[in-house]
Amino acid sequence: MATAIGAITHEKEGSGLWSWLTTVDHKRIGTVYAISGFLFFLLGGLEAVAVRTQLAVPNGTVLDAERYNQFFTMHALTMIFLAIMPMGAGFFNYFIPLQIGARDVAFPRLNALSLWVFLAGGFLLNSSFIIGGAPDGGWFGYAPLSGIQYAKTSGMTFYVVGLLTLGLSSLIASLNFAVTIINMRAPGMTMMRLPVFIWMTLVVVFLLILSLPVLTVGLLQLYFDRVWGTSFFSPSTGGDPILWQHLFWIFGHPEVYVLILPSMGIVSEVLPVMSRKPLFGYSAIVFAGAAIGFLGFGVWAHHMFTTGLGPVPQVVFSASTMAIGIPTGIKIFNWLGTMYGGSIRFVTATYFAVAFIALFTIGGISGVMHASPPVDTHHQDSYFVVAHLHYVLFGGAIMGIFAGIYYWFPKMTGRLLDETLGKISFWLIFIGMNLTFFPMHFLGLAGMPRRIYTYDADLGWDKWNMVATIGSYTIALGVLVFVINFLKTMRRPADAGNDPWGGATLEWSTSSPPPAHDFDVIPDVRDRDPLWYARDHNIAPAPVPEHLHIHMPPPSYYPLILGLGVLLLAIGAMSHLAVAALGVATAIFGVWGWALEPTD
Amino acid sequence: MAAATHETQHPTSTGIDSRKVLMWIFLASECLFFGSLISTYLIFKGDSISGPTPAEILNIPVTSASTFVLLMSSLTMVLAVYGAQHGRLGMMKAMLLATIVLGLGFLGFQAYEFASFVHEGLGLTTNQFGTTFFVLTGFHGTHVFVGVLYLLSLLLAANRRTGLGRERALHVDIAGLYWHFVDIVWIVIFTIVYLIPNN
Amino acid sequence: MSNEAHVAASGPAHSGAHDEHPPTTIREYVMIGLVLTVVTAVELWASYNAHILGGTLVPVLLVLSAFKFAVVVAMFMHLRFEHGLLTRLFAFGLVLGAGIIITLSAIFWNDGTDVVGGGKTSVTEPAAAPAAPAPGTTPAR
Repeated sequence: MATAIGAITHEKEGSGLWSWLTTVDHKRIGTVYAISGFLFFLLGGLEAVAVRTQLAVPNGTVLDAERYNQFFTMHALTMIFLAIMPMGAGFFNYFIPLQIGARDVAFPRLNALSLWVFLAGGFLLNSSFIIGGAPDGGWFGYAPLSGIQYAKTSGMTFYVVGLLTLGLSSLIASLNFAVTIINMRAPGMTMMRLPVFIWMTLVVVFLLILSLPVLTVGLLQLYFDRVWGTSFFSPSTGGDPILWQHLFWIFGHPEVYVLILPSMGIVSEVLPVMSRKPLFGYSAIVFAGAAIGFLGFGVWAHHMFTTGLGPVPQVVFSASTMAIGIPTGIKIFNWLGTMYGGSIRFVTATYFAVAFIALFTIGGISGVMHASPPVDTHHQDSYFVVAHLHYVLFGGAIMGIFAGIYYWFPKMTGRLLDETLGKISFWLIFIGMNLTFFPMHFLGLAGMPRRIYTYDADLGWDKWNMVATIGSYTIALGVLVFVINFLKTMRRPADAGNDPWGGATLEWSTSSPPPAHDFDVIPDVRDRDPLWYARDHNIAPAPVPEHLHIHMPPPSYYPLILGLGVLLLAIGAMSHLAVAALGVATAIFGVWGWALEPTD
Repeated sequence: MAAATHETQHPTSTGIDSRKVLMWIFLASECLFFGSLISTYLIFKGDSISGPTPAEILNIPVTSASTFVLLMSSLTMVLAVYGAQHGRLGMMKAMLLATIVLGLGFLGFQAYEFASFVHEGLGLTTNQFGTTFFVLTGFHGTHVFVGVLYLLSLLLAANRRTGLGRERALHVDIAGLYWHFVDIVWIVIFTIVYLIPNN
Repeated sequence: MSNEAHVAASGPAHSGAHDEHPPTTIREYVMIGLVLTVVTAVELWASYNAHILGGTLVPVLLVLSAFKFAVVVAMFMHLRFEHGLLTRLFAFGLVLGAGIIITLSAIFWNDGTDVVGGGKTSVTEPAAAPAAPAPGTTPAR
């Protein structure tokens, strides 16, 4: 990774380690987010491959039951909180200011803080592997399996503290991005001229801002139950395990849209450029995204149909879940309409974007099936659900992220990724993905439950489990080809140019990689596709003034100190009060220095 | 030309200071935080297997006094903001100090209440009422404490640097938003926990 | 987390004449404080005289506290003098938070499967549930 970091040079900033630790530059922060997110993606992938290896044949012996539980739990937590969200945050960081015509986010130091807190959370969560065992209660940590009586190791305490830390990071980042999009747009960049990626980001950050506090409360209650002996979730003393499910899914369902909407935004950027025509139905796609956000808060209990909600809640949540299929369907037709009649360039980014539409549609359809309580009761806790969620999260979110990587790589590094290797990697991932997850539909309908660490030979599940395992190795091979492509590309000269795709949005008007101040002249936006507007109306780029008087915020180490305080507080919450007190003191010192630090 | 246009216009797209937008969005998020805690309190209302019950233990007169103290702190806070916005440094400092003192007074009442509950046999783990009560009001008290530190930092900063600019007024104003929010959360908690009869 | 710099374009970071403070006077602020105190006193009186108000007590208390809430937000937090955007942003959280309280309370208070600890000694039916209990579906409560 050192090559990647070293290669993205900024003339005015230093390139030493200290300059990265104190950076407040949104592009550097975005780069660290993206790279660490990808490394966690590899880690979570390895965990998945281990799980699939165990399940390849009946009565497998690769992992014992305990380790298996830790691996599937950490696979989910890693992929959701440490891979997909940070890779999304990497794109948000890098491209929000560039696409809205700003020089940085609204609060550059808060931006750095969210990065350090994220890294602290990822470190905490994974350190549990070597300190007493990783979380093993599933990513949704259902009570009472998360309680102290059934989860005796410290694993679920790591889960609570790790997710609280990661939630804090996401909240800080989301507040920052929300204000940036609302308040830092270039002149003429009205809300209805924002790129769709920015709109989807805005929906995502509001989903996080409004749902994370609910998870925070649930986690704090779980912490009280585990550490201080309260009984929020244990029924023997008056608590209610169903409460946890409500609090978790009030967060958890919006979280699903947090994972998928960035990829929807990316695809909405890639397809128009590669089809060389404007996005079909901009307003419809924006309002559909906002509608998904609103409805996303009213569907959480469809994860809980089998808990005995009663007829009225079942009908209400079933109806709202079916309703959310409508805006999602609108978007599918927007993308198809965008490509229809276009002069399409089939580069790797296009491949991933088109695959996104197809695979996400499959996952979406099996999702609508679960909106019906009787069907859901049949599918609950079976591999059918595993198939569904991976079509949405791998076929959707990850495919979209790959499309974004291939699309924006030249902007971030000045280099185009190799197309031949890219297509090899695409086909391996695409075929492997379908080999892995499509058979899981059959397995689920054949009655195979989720989260069993092994199964007997005479249940009729052998064949499709073997196919799924072969598929997972195929995905791993495809990702390996991508990594080779990345390393190979980084050795080549940076010759991609400012705008290799003929892009429509503002990031393509500046150099590749962009200078620290992003734009020599803040653009004046007159259209939804500003670069195409300028091209079609023969508007020359504004002349660069001879002397640039651009004031950028100075680097700061206070975010790092504050992040350290949060890490110490989190460690203290799991170990000793004194460590927590030290953390609070460090944090207060950090805030104090932060507030008094001159930023001019 | 584009640069020139930008210089003359307001630095933010909406004309509102970014820090103020940040605080309001944060408070929206806090609504969900306290909403979840209040939901939990209501869900477990009446689910205690053993006593003491709220009707037996809540001391409404004392809490009414502390509610009044917090209400008055909102008044002094708004006057501190007034002082900052009208260039009256002395008024701002005096009112900030008063708000801090009243905030500490509220916390003192809360400490007294917690201590007497524990004394009367209601601990964090005694029953569902104890659990939800201490967690709900405890997190509210933590917010008040953070608010006190926040205001204290403004007061110290006011003594370090002289002068009262637009920036200073904005800082006090935004701190005030946080403080008032903590107050309105208490308005809701006071009604739901104390005033609505617990039989 | 205040005091963050704006990365605006070059040029002086300031604005022209803009309404910098709400029009409320000190006298009005004190009056508002008085009104809030009086409303709180009325709430207390109502709470102590529950028998007079009977079934209307809970709605009355909720309305009064909503009134205080609204006054503080509108006047002390001067939201009514601000850009409409801030009201909408805050309303997102407020409506959603209230929605969660109402929905969860409704779900749990009408939950026929919730038998606590094999039969709770049960203090009371929650007094804050003015709505009629769901017909015939709540054996546990």
